[in-house]
Amino acid sequence: MPATLKTPEQVAAYRERLIGMYDPQRPCILICGGTGCLANAAGEVIAAFREVLAKHELDHKVGLRITGCHGFCEQGPLVVLLPERLLYVSVTPDDAEEIVEKTVLNGERIERLFYKDASGRIFEKQDDIPFYKRQTRLIFGANLELDPRSIDDYLRIGGYSALVKALTRMTPEQIIEEVTRSGLRGRGGAGFPAGVKWASCRKAPGNHKYVICNADEGDPGAYANRSLLEGNPHSVVEGMIIGAYAIGALEGYVYVRTEYPLAVDLMAQAVNDARAMGLLGENILGTGLRFDISIVRGGGAFVCGESTALMASIEGRVGEPRAKHIHTVESGLWDRPSNLNNVETWANIPLIINKGADWFTRIGTGDVTKSPWGGSKGTKIFSLVGKVNNTGLVEVPMGATLRQVVFDIGGGVKGGKKLKGVQTGGPSGGVLAERHLDLPIDYDQLVEAGTMMGSGGMIVMDEDNCMVDFARFFTRFLENESCGKCTPCREGIVQMGMILTDICEGKGKPEDIPLLEEVAEVVSEASLCQLGITAPNPVLTTLRYFPEEYEAHVRDRKCAAGVCRALVTYSIDPEKCTGCMLCARNCAAEAIHGEQKQPHTIDPAKCTKCGVCYDMCRYNAVLRN
Amino acid sequence: MNNDERIGVYICHCGTNIAQTVDVAAVADFARTLPGVVVTKEYKYMCSSPGQELIKKDIADHQLTRVVVSSCSPLMHEITFRNVCEDAGLNRFLFQMSNIREQCSWVHMDHEKATEKAKRLVAAAVRRVKHHRPMEEREVAVQPKAMVVGAGIAGIEAALKMADAGKKVYLVEREPSIGGHMAKFDKTFPTLDCAACILTPKMVAVGQHKNIELMTYSEIEHVAGYVGNFKVKVRRKARYVDEKKCTGCGQCMTRCPVQYRPTNGDARRRVPVEIRPELKVAVDKALDLHRHERAPLISVLQDINLEFRYLPPEALKYISRRLGLPLSRVYHVATFYTAFSLTPRGEHAVKVCVGTSCHIRGAQRLLDALGERLEIKAGETTKDLKFTLETVNCLGACALSPVIVIDGKYHGNLNRSKLEKVLKRYTQE
Repeated sequence: MPATLKTPEQVAAYRERLIGMYDPQRPCILICGGTGCLANAAGEVIAAFREVLAKHELDHKVGLRITGCHGFCEQGPLVVLLPERLLYVSVTPDDAEEIVEKTVLNGERIERLFYKDASGRIFEKQDDIPFYKRQTRLIFGANLELDPRSIDDYLRIGGYSALVKALTRMTPEQIIEEVTRSGLRGRGGAGFPAGVKWASCRKAPGNHKYVICNADEGDPGAYANRSLLEGNPHSVVEGMIIGAYAIGALEGYVYVRTEYPLAVDLMAQAVNDARAMGLLGENILGTGLRFDISIVRGGGAFVCGESTALMASIEGRVGEPRAKHIHTVESGLWDRPSNLNNVETWANIPLIINKGADWFTRIGTGDVTKSPWGGSKGTKIFSLVGKVNNTGLVEVPMGATLRQVVFDIGGGVKGGKKLKGVQTGGPSGGVLAERHLDLPIDYDQLVEAGTMMGSGGMIVMDEDNCMVDFARFFTRFLENESCGKCTPCREGIVQMGMILTDICEGKGKPEDIPLLEEVAEVVSEASLCQLGITAPNPVLTTLRYFPEEYEAHVRDRKCAAGVCRALVTYSIDPEKCTGCMLCARNCAAEAIHGEQKQPHTIDPAKCTKCGVCYDMCRYNAVLRN
Repeated sequence: MNNDERIGVYICHCGTNIAQTVDVAAVADFARTLPGVVVTKEYKYMCSSPGQELIKKDIADHQLTRVVVSSCSPLMHEITFRNVCEDAGLNRFLFQMSNIREQCSWVHMDHEKATEKAKRLVAAAVRRVKHHRPMEEREVAVQPKAMVVGAGIAGIEAALKMADAGKKVYLVEREPSIGGHMAKFDKTFPTLDCAACILTPKMVAVGQHKNIELMTYSEIEHVAGYVGNFKVKVRRKARYVDEKKCTGCGQCMTRCPVQYRPTNGDARRRVPVEIRPELKVAVDKALDLHRHERAPLISVLQDINLEFRYLPPEALKYISRRLGLPLSRVYHVATFYTAFSLTPRGEHAVKVCVGTSCHIRGAQRLLDALGERLEIKAGETTKDLKFTLETVNCLGACALSPVIVIDGKYHGNLNRSKLEKVLKRYTQE
């Protein structure tokens, strides 16, 4: 690392030097060090490659780069080989030796490590795989190009050039104008235009202002922010510095979930490196700009993703939201003007500054020339998870359809089952049904369909998922996470949960459904913050799109998906049972009886309906109804 | 001291109240040996008419100049015996009472030791009575004004009572506001009445009362004089605010750029928090690490929770003290966030992700299986402090769902049999 960069010219000169030192044709092994791959033993794979390279004395000839998440988590650990961008999937530590000897040194392909799609087709290069090919990876693409621990890597690929451009060639007003014109809307979920928020914060009276990065990615089923922080932390830092300059803020906070220790660590390193290089602190790049960033760890409270609760938490108090009749842009953190944006929003800023609003508005839906609310521009990263073949992180232009995401990129539903619904927007969002497959995904379309963008969780459900149980899952979640400050949320969600539990346990009454709708309406109307206001969404959308499931639970006492235990009975089809004893051996309740090679039976009095026998039977002899 | 005094000592049996524990005869025998004692008598009930007559007669017969009665509490009969002295022509203040009932026979079991103690009490009274001087009672004019020091609920009540009775009252309080401890309470024991509902009307009454002169943010420097004629020097501390114009809106306190916290009355009388050394070292380290943060509480709690796997109560007390935050505030935060635990957690933290993606891929079954295997419920710790089972809303590893994390290591795509293999690694250490 060089001494401090004191002027914009020094940044450019230093970048030139980095580019000069980098040989794009030099072989390099990229290993995904994202959480998904690390959980699949990528750490051991990395160690194995290090050892093999050292053994062959290739340390200086072959590069080894541990990158952030590549997104294709389903297939991890992922190894990409430069310069050809060959992709090996599900690599084990034992493969390291072979990869180095065959592919790196001799250019031989190892067929068994290539990705194969459902039809058995083999893909050699990463960019050819539909999962990658059909994405538009504006924000996320850089993850492959850099080591998140290296500020040099980020500078080499053009990092901090947007900052230089903003500081030297743009006034704060021009930056805000550019962001407003780009139509960038808050990626945290509500979709408030970033430029409009910045302008209000700039206008707010006061000398001491804050910019805040909301990295409290609490929506269960969403991890896009995590992978951005862990893959390209400097893009967020750069976005925040530009924002601070435009708004006139002196201090920045990044509020990260404590459940993301790696993100905390990498973000802290990025901030320290940027500070050491003179990109944070006093007199940034000789322009007189003063700005610095602190990292704050969250405490595991979902409600702290709400802006006022988050600010309360930074202030060292419990995360309870307050009414927002005074906007946080005027009186937020420590009663001072504060501008809060999501990780992904901040990461979009350098892109918009570098390429311009005109370029940005070409991507996405609607027309934002008259009003920034007129459309949804840019891309959005979704965590495509659940019952889908290619789980992982997916970046698509706004306006892509569910079908494109789930089928073209995601490779369809796991095990060839039938798609039942897709949940978006976390606990505040709702469930979309099969008929919405061709719905273009943008802020306004989703809200119209009763759900929302949220932080980009997209959870695919198949016929084995029960919608009533699913609504109950979110209701329970919100019941636990309600901070308890206002009554409609605290009590209303509990009541909804009790009604849903009754329905799931076969105690539902026909009048429960209208009652559920009524309570949902009160909670939504009378709650203080968005947690309560949006809490009934999962219930309301499932009621709206899957009324027949509720009816089946209440009227027929049946759960077609076989999830609601009280409504399910297990039995064994004597025709199909081979008497293999597998189910009997694994039944914790000892409810299955029968001799070897004779059909077994289940004792309903002992059966706890855990479903182990159903999952284990190789002959589909266990019946669930 | 006059050594020529002629002292009469009277020891009372008080029925059996004194006599059953104290050997009254022995005490009387002992009293006879004391210098200056010319007559000693014991009697069943000294306070009875015959008892009183007995003393009167002795005063005359033996020309007693001092009288000592060893019986019950002076609260009970001091006046009785003073009257006896006066009736017999002796100044009523040349009498001394010593308490061998409440302070001796009633509170002791050992006869010998109680008798010994009674002897000493009698000896002390005899020594003391020699110093007594005759005194006269007369009436003098007093200042019909009172000063109440400390405007807590007791001070406020006292001031109001006296003021209502028409006396001028000076009410002095060292804090900027009156109310004291009660102002900090939510409810009062034992009726659980609302504290503020009792206190605030009285505070207002103090402010409005014509007979009360309130002196807040003031301290007593010097007290001189005597009952009815005290002279008190009170220092009113500087306030920099025109009290006549101030409406008490409090805006100046919130707007002031300098962090000013009025001294808390408790702060001066605090005893140090007892905290075990290794915990103190850890907390000090965390406090030092986060000393530049404007609100270091949550960061410090995070560090301690990480190192000790829970937040020990003494650490919370110590943190509250060091950061100058009320303990209630520290507990409020420590119990609000799910990341913190107030009970010790196991060596291995098993976190089951119950996020949406994991839920639909069978997290509940995994949780049930773990619960059965470890024989605990979510949120509990095994008895041997080996495992703690927890749920977490989302670990952000949805591609691997259902996923659990043990000691920070992720185990994904689990089912029952894979789970068994994973657990084995931790149980076979």
